[in-house]
Amino acid sequence: MVKRGFLATRGIARRVWRNYKAFLLFSPFVLLLPLWAEPLGRSISLNIVYLMRMVGIFTLTAVGLNLLMGYAGQASLGHGAFMGIGAYVSAILSTRWGWPAWAGILLGTLLAAFVGYLLAPILRLRGHYLAMATLGVGIAAFIFFREMTGLTGGNVGIREIPKLNLFGLEISSKKAEFYFVWLLVILVLLLCQNLVRSRVGRAIRAFHQSEVAARIMGVDVASYKMKVFMLSAALGGLAGGIYSHLQGYINPSQFSVMLSIQLVVMVVVGGMESIWGSVAGASLVVFLPSLVEALPKWMGNVPAWVRQYSNYEGLVFGAILVLTMIFLPKGITTSTVEFYRRKTRKAAELMGEEEPVSIPEEEVRNGK
Amino acid sequence: MENDVILSVESLTKAFGGLYALKDVTFLVKKGAIKAVIGPNGAGKTTLFDVLTGLQPPDRGRAVFLDREITCMPAHQLAGIGISRTFQTVRIFPGMTVLENVMVGLHHRTGCGFLKAALKLPSERKEEKFIREEAFSYLEMVGLELMAHFPAGSLPFGRQRLLELARALASRPKLLLLDEPASGLNTYETEELGEILREIAGQGITILLVEHDMGLVMRISHEVLVLDYGEVIAEGTPLEVKDDPRVIEAYLGSEI
Repeated sequence: MVKRGFLATRGIARRVWRNYKAFLLFSPFVLLLPLWAEPLGRSISLNIVYLMRMVGIFTLTAVGLNLLMGYAGQASLGHGAFMGIGAYVSAILSTRWGWPAWAGILLGTLLAAFVGYLLAPILRLRGHYLAMATLGVGIAAFIFFREMTGLTGGNVGIREIPKLNLFGLEISSKKAEFYFVWLLVILVLLLCQNLVRSRVGRAIRAFHQSEVAARIMGVDVASYKMKVFMLSAALGGLAGGIYSHLQGYINPSQFSVMLSIQLVVMVVVGGMESIWGSVAGASLVVFLPSLVEALPKWMGNVPAWVRQYSNYEGLVFGAILVLTMIFLPKGITTSTVEFYRRKTRKAAELMGEEEPVSIPEEEVRNGK
Repeated sequence: MENDVILSVESLTKAFGGLYALKDVTFLVKKGAIKAVIGPNGAGKTTLFDVLTGLQPPDRGRAVFLDREITCMPAHQLAGIGISRTFQTVRIFPGMTVLENVMVGLHHRTGCGFLKAALKLPSERKEEKFIREEAFSYLEMVGLELMAHFPAGSLPFGRQRLLELARALASRPKLLLLDEPASGLNTYETEELGEILREIAGQGITILLVEHDMGLVMRISHEVLVLDYGEVIAEGTPLEVKDDPRVIEAYLGSEI
């Protein structure tokens, strides 16, 4: 019998809640951020909105890199290159040929994916070799951006990139940019979560864990690797394109190897094989420098070494990466979730409730 | 070729350096049979499986599965034509749940791609439901249904072997290659495995089996092939093979 009316709605609501819990909890939190940040004071709230745009941009790239590194297990230490491609393509098209921003961003995204396609042969490499090869890609892209002065403007880069403009709708205020970026981010996160929880996602995780077994099960590993690589390159290109229009200027130093390393930090510290981990990682990398910078304002006198933070920022990120690998190898998001689960289970045990030995069949069939 | 032959292997040869892992190995597997491949360690049994499943190219010879040459077919295409296998060292996906492992087994039977999956179209949801239910039925077959949502890596070893078997079955093979399915199992588990294998054969799935547990081999197989140093030294029913002097020699050394 088909359930109708109230019952059916409740069933759908329950399914949506079960599958998209994180989205239902976090999306309002993020999207209402400009509102709840207001009481913190005007300058702080503006700052948060400003930085959150960057978090969004980096999340787009990081979630793509997470698909590649976390889920498919293929390291890329040169993902900044794809952000650079997206940024330069869109910037060049809009400043020189007067293309609308959305068209430039779209073309940059496609071109990044195409470059990913051309680079697909390096995916035959494994482990350290692949990491080295992608590092080479990152370095090569950086040199390309710097030396192709006729096209990219060399070290000076490209200035006066027009603001975002969606089919005649100007997106120029920081708040509007924030909403645009985060609506897009939430959409992309949603699509990515659907993807990793599907047949495709299982195939990708499967060859990460045992390539031979995945092949025997009929997974065309080479083709999947290429597609994931292209998808993750495309997300990098998309993020780069938007970034160039938000920032208004770009130059090669923004897309150096340091960017690629930061992206890896976001994925690893945020949590491999975790969609929301990318958000956590991106937030950390973006907010940490600003927090340290803001310390003198809040606390008055701080030691000189705190003021000079930007000089050894790389060192701090390196240390965070090392410590995460040692103590939270699954990243902050996954570890926190697991810690919470363990705690609630322990609480249940203390209350005298035993764990259910057998799960009702209906529930087992329907999954989590 | 005769009609009741599912796999025919013709002078398959594979050498590593100067050492022959397989030397002119020729045999037939009949439809619906359980055929065991036995032999001392290093006789080339696992190499035979690797060559048959496209993981290693042979130097010479060919293998024909249902009138189709499979000798140099890429491994990922074999599931589609009806060949699946398990491994001597269990190769499950430890970080995925037990159920998800079996769901991967249904990969080639379904076809949802990136776009459909990302958009979660109704057709994708329907397919997911099919995959889930089908995978669950294979778990029930090997008795793992209550562990469906445990991480596969947390299962005890014997259960991991059963999981691998369920995963291979989920691809609905016509020919199933099992590489030492009983190794590491205790007597009770081996007994249980024998029952499951008979049940599988009863469904018309042909089984080619590498096994060291002679008790199991004698109990369930219709035919036995004996390899020694990459060569076929005997072939026949379990009883015939058991009394073959060359087999005894290979296992126990020759009488002086």
